[in-house]
Amino acid sequence: MEYLLVHFPRSRRVLIDDEFNGRTNELIELEAGRHTVSLGPPYDNYEPDEYTVILKNTSALDPREVTFELKEHE
Amino acid sequence: MSLKNTSSSCVIVACAFFLTLGGCAHYPVNGPSSRHDETPRYEFAPEANGLNTDSLFLCLAFSGGGTRAAALSYGVLEKLRHTRLTWKGVEKSLLDEVDCISSVSGGSFTAAYYGLFGDRIFEEFRPKFLDVNIQRTLIWRLFNPINWVRLASPYFNRIDLAAEYYDEHLFEGNTFVALAQPPRRPFVIINATNMVNGERFEFTQEQFDFLASDLSSYPVARAVAASSAFPFLLSPITLKNYPHVEFQLPKDYQAGLHDYDDNRRRYYWAKNRTIYLDDEQYPYLHLMDGGLSDNIGLRPIEAAYRRTGGFIRRLINEGRIEKLVIIVVNARTVEKDDLSRSESPPGILTVAAKTATIAMEHYSVETIETMKELRRERMKAQHNLAACQKRLDQCPGSTPLPAFATTIDPYVIEVNFEALRDPAQRDDLQSLPTSFALTGEQVDALIQVGQQLLEESPDYRAFLEDLMIP
Repeated sequence: MEYLLVHFPRSRRVLIDDEFNGRTNELIELEAGRHTVSLGPPYDNYEPDEYTVILKNTSALDPREVTFELKEHE
Repeated sequence: MSLKNTSSSCVIVACAFFLTLGGCAHYPVNGPSSRHDETPRYEFAPEANGLNTDSLFLCLAFSGGGTRAAALSYGVLEKLRHTRLTWKGVEKSLLDEVDCISSVSGGSFTAAYYGLFGDRIFEEFRPKFLDVNIQRTLIWRLFNPINWVRLASPYFNRIDLAAEYYDEHLFEGNTFVALAQPPRRPFVIINATNMVNGERFEFTQEQFDFLASDLSSYPVARAVAASSAFPFLLSPITLKNYPHVEFQLPKDYQAGLHDYDDNRRRYYWAKNRTIYLDDEQYPYLHLMDGGLSDNIGLRPIEAAYRRTGGFIRRLINEGRIEKLVIIVVNARTVEKDDLSRSESPPGILTVAAKTATIAMEHYSVETIETMKELRRERMKAQHNLAACQKRLDQCPGSTPLPAFATTIDPYVIEVNFEALRDPAQRDDLQSLPTSFALTGEQVDALIQVGQQLLEESPDYRAFLEDLMIP
């Protein structure tokens, strides 16, 4: 299995390939390969809109990390 | 002479009439996708219902093996029903906590009956199925002249007669809408095998979406018939693949099709499903015994755990599962080897029968071991994180490591005749035939041994001790 860590200033549900699958700032265990990563609602207060990542050769201690920023108007 | 001619003409006309009628006989065709959003989808219910919880997540895999497999899995259901526990302050039976059942062939009868009728299985299943000589009943149907006429049609076959019997006498005419509504658990996954590519085919709406077809109106009996369509004895079940006018490929399949280099397993999973999108090349598919692709029914559960969009995977990542228990009920027998005693090579019929069935047990052990490896991998990851965090805690001002949503306790438990300590009992059970005709004593023994094997399983004991069940 592969491991993903999604950084965001708040706790928010994470969408993997358009399905809810874990939360921000927690380790998410997934199968290897290509995935799109975005956040749950509200959809207009983070950026970028989504990441496309390829999960490969990660571990729980060394996960693939992506960071979403809170948009300034928040 | 004239009278004789008239009689002959009448016979010929009658034959022609019945043959014409027979030519009209057609198996029930699966319908196209509904355009109504409110049509129930048969899929895993996202919310637990009744006494069931997400936190204790229990899945069962029922193997093939005719009535032998059906009785063994029934024995396990009885054992779970009589095992009481208190979980999160609520008293219940372990059976109340079953979230999914995946089945093939003989095991599909038990799984579908329990899915449709719940606890009624404990009153009705023995007299309606386990104690009935199904084979004799089906053969009698073949002797009915009306059925000769129907079987003359190219669109009606032996399997359709069997499915009719199951529908009338066992599943009460229910379609998948009865499993889908109200949404509930366990989610029963009935598995068959696509004759063309040898791939597992499951009777879920997600799979039927790839045929642009609606599962909710399809008879459960036909799914079970497909799952148990043993090669040569029964003919395949045929499904129609409709034009994919409004179909949108889900994103995880789109991604999977790019994974040839990074995850070959995911790539082929996506590719094998998407072949049905070519409805001109594949307007029909023919399904046979689920045991031909996975004779223990574990692969759908493994996929639900491993796949990113799998219903178990998502619940784990959402932190909703604390204890994950998978019980594999494997009615595998050991065939008496007469071939190796003969100097002359086997005849063509023996070779044909062997070729069709020899692969059925090949990957059963491998699939169970793969599931156990996945369990070990998760436990190791949890252990490493905890050990590193413990070291880090000794460093003032260090940042905590990221953690999983929750720590899970996974168990993989197998019920298998091989575990019996008494060699005579083991030999007796392992020599039972794969048929739909066992004696009452044999059924009694199988039900009893299903309970015994579960109770004696070291992994099951460990799970019960963890729950503090004596």
